[in-house]
Amino acid sequence: MKRSFMLVFLTVLIVAVTGFAATPKDTLVIGSNTGIFITMDPAVAYEVLPNKIVAACYAQLVNLKAIDGVIVPVPDIAESWEISEDGLTYIFYIRQGVKFSNGDPLTAEDVLFSLKRPILLDSVSAWFLVDIFGINKDNVDEKIKQIDENTITITLNAPYAENITLGILSNMFTGIVNKDVVLANEVNGDLGTAWLADHSAGAGPYVLVQWERNNVILLEANPNYYGSQPPLKRIMIRDVPEASNQRLFLERGDIDVAWDLTPQLLTEAKKNPNVVEVKVPGHSNEYLAMNASWGPLKDPKVREAVRYSINYKEIVEDIMLNNAMLVQGFINKGYFGYVEENPFYQDIEKAKALLAEAGYPNGFEVELITSNTDTRKAEAEKIQADLAKAGIKVNLVIVQSSQMYEKYRAQGHQMIIAGWGNDYPDPDNLAMSHASYRANQLAWRNAWYDDYAATLCEWGQIEPNQDKREQIYKDLTEYWFHNGPFAMLYQTVEFWGIRKEVKNFEEAAFGYGMLFDFTKVSK
Amino acid sequence: MNFGQFLLRRLFLMIIVLFGVACIVFFIANIIPADPVGAILGGNAPPEAINRLKAKLGYDQPLIIRFGNFIAGALRGDFGVSLKTSNPVMKDIMNYFPATMELAIVAIIISIFLGITLGVLSAVHRNKAIDQFSRIFSILGVSMPVFWIGLLLLLVFYFKLGWLPGGGRLGFFTYPPPRVTGMYLIDSALAGQWDTFKEALLHILLPAFVLGYNATASIARITRASMLDVLKQDFIRTAKSKGLKRNVVIYRHALRNSMIPTITIIGLVFGGLLEGAVLTETVFSWPGLGRYITTGMLFLDYPAVMGGTLYIAFIYSLANLIVDILYALLDPRMRM
Repeated sequence: MKRSFMLVFLTVLIVAVTGFAATPKDTLVIGSNTGIFITMDPAVAYEVLPNKIVAACYAQLVNLKAIDGVIVPVPDIAESWEISEDGLTYIFYIRQGVKFSNGDPLTAEDVLFSLKRPILLDSVSAWFLVDIFGINKDNVDEKIKQIDENTITITLNAPYAENITLGILSNMFTGIVNKDVVLANEVNGDLGTAWLADHSAGAGPYVLVQWERNNVILLEANPNYYGSQPPLKRIMIRDVPEASNQRLFLERGDIDVAWDLTPQLLTEAKKNPNVVEVKVPGHSNEYLAMNASWGPLKDPKVREAVRYSINYKEIVEDIMLNNAMLVQGFINKGYFGYVEENPFYQDIEKAKALLAEAGYPNGFEVELITSNTDTRKAEAEKIQADLAKAGIKVNLVIVQSSQMYEKYRAQGHQMIIAGWGNDYPDPDNLAMSHASYRANQLAWRNAWYDDYAATLCEWGQIEPNQDKREQIYKDLTEYWFHNGPFAMLYQTVEFWGIRKEVKNFEEAAFGYGMLFDFTKVSK
Repeated sequence: MNFGQFLLRRLFLMIIVLFGVACIVFFIANIIPADPVGAILGGNAPPEAINRLKAKLGYDQPLIIRFGNFIAGALRGDFGVSLKTSNPVMKDIMNYFPATMELAIVAIIISIFLGITLGVLSAVHRNKAIDQFSRIFSILGVSMPVFWIGLLLLLVFYFKLGWLPGGGRLGFFTYPPPRVTGMYLIDSALAGQWDTFKEALLHILLPAFVLGYNATASIARITRASMLDVLKQDFIRTAKSKGLKRNVVIYRHALRNSMIPTITIIGLVFGGLLEGAVLTETVFSWPGLGRYITTGMLFLDYPAVMGGTLYIAFIYSLANLIVDILYALLDPRMRM
């Protein structure tokens, strides 16, 4: 018995000390929680990171690029475009000589098929087309047309500003799929969506060669890519669900990038000389919103008092450990129309005076709902403490995220801490959601039925002159600051821990949330 | 009662148990105030999109109709389609289960080996150092949370010492062996890929130890108690007085006779291993059924959670049925 035990122990020891190698030079190994990944079908993919992986496999009608710190739509498969006099019809000229990864030529027919797919599939991400552009199953043949062998037209329901239209069309659902390959893999009229869930048939810089769910995703460079070959031949995304394990893997050099570190873990990991931190501005915000149809919050003075009670600086520094930016307007930094001014800071005397003016000299009691993440809980407790100083008693209700949103969508909250992730890089998306109740979004959920703000939003949406648009959004922000139902807490920052041998990661990551350009990374 | 009747009765009971589990799983999943459609679309999705998806998934139907559909499907082994992977849940289960089964089997082997060794040693050397060690080891085993001990061992054996890999079933750059059973140790051995076998073995050691720690502790305690009982009995005294060697007395006479409670506990803890896999698989990035169910839960993928849970309940009751049948065959008193 004893001998056999020793034998096993020795065998284990001998095989164990053989060691583990560092990652290959031509491969980027990413550790990430891939549990939320659903599908790699460009017409259906919707989550942030999966979308960027899909984006690496598909050329799109139009794409996004960060130019001088501003994210703008750029040509991709549409080499150029024109807009009709009435601003309703976009004419896209398809780039010639592009091949799919399997060598098939990419034609206007593929483009037409790919643009209609999300609508025919009732895809979640097609809501842009359905709810904004008014293109649905019944009229899709009328609205999206092939004119000749290199021209496609899309007709909209309103003359949106060009930046809005192209911004929306730069979403993943305009990724061009190889019609023949997709139809060859069709099952029960699913337009190939089951097959495309873990295969790719695109013309992007990479090809999806393997996706074993909850385990590994492997991309390899596409030899037929129409642009220049990317420096990295392979991108490997390993499923590492625990952030603390990602940190261990990163420090040991088994992965090159830890995708989902917490601020605390990043602070620990970067003490290692082989680990570098990368930060870029995010495309989301975090806010405190007040239901303008509820009790004391109906009064704009009370909402202003709340805004002057919060210590924003401490939230950014102590809770977010500086992984956030103090931005108090609804337009993100990096967008045109961004207002640099942050008018609010903690001034308890002023807050108390405002409350007294509004007829609440002794404050009031209010319920604050938020979701059960560590960050949200910390923010809620901080705001509870800050508002208490001005005499407002906050009762916290911490629930699961989907439960919170169910209540929020039904205007059932009094105060809420939540966030908004932007869908396309134009202030329209932010203005409509935060300031126009007619868009049935955040402003509506907070019962802020303000026609002046809503009208400015709609004007900004169709104003063709970019300078005038910018002024509209600046005026709107000024008005919204003091009348709206929000106290904007911060704009998010995206951050990663990477190995020091990984080059140009920051450049590749700039704009993450909207884009991630894997072709820029090298080692 | 003859054996046939016994078997029928047992099968009938198993169906009742599984039906009970199905009811509990379904109603917990559907009554908790969470909204799977909202979770798929995210909090900022427009209400129109939410209503469209609700209708598409059938969540606009009354609860009782959905329950009927669920039971009818489950009887055919059809748990519906996962909201997340878009695969039939049964296909996903078949895909992930071998990884969990392999982990559980290695865990039970380690637990039996370690548990019995510790149990015997501490019974024989009662109240000596080894017994005290075994006691502390066992108390820690039943009281420390799996994810905590998992992280701790990773920190030591992967991060500090670099002896063992940090997670996953194989190294990042190793292709899995050709699939026969879906268990890498067996498949790589069948294919004669000994390098892969070695890698798979290294990868499974820590998670299997952690998963089996609790079981090891229980087996060690039961073996010790039962050994102490047996060692007091007359036939041991006789064996000793016959002049048999100490080891022969301990291993051939005492251990063999003290195994019955140990075997019972092994049957019981095996079910616990399947359940413990949920946490262990997350800590060790192990792509098994446990991780499938956890990600399903976070995503409110009800078909996946209900199907996965029911499948584990099925395997658990099947294991119990087999144990009972074995007992009945060995010991006719059990059929009463």
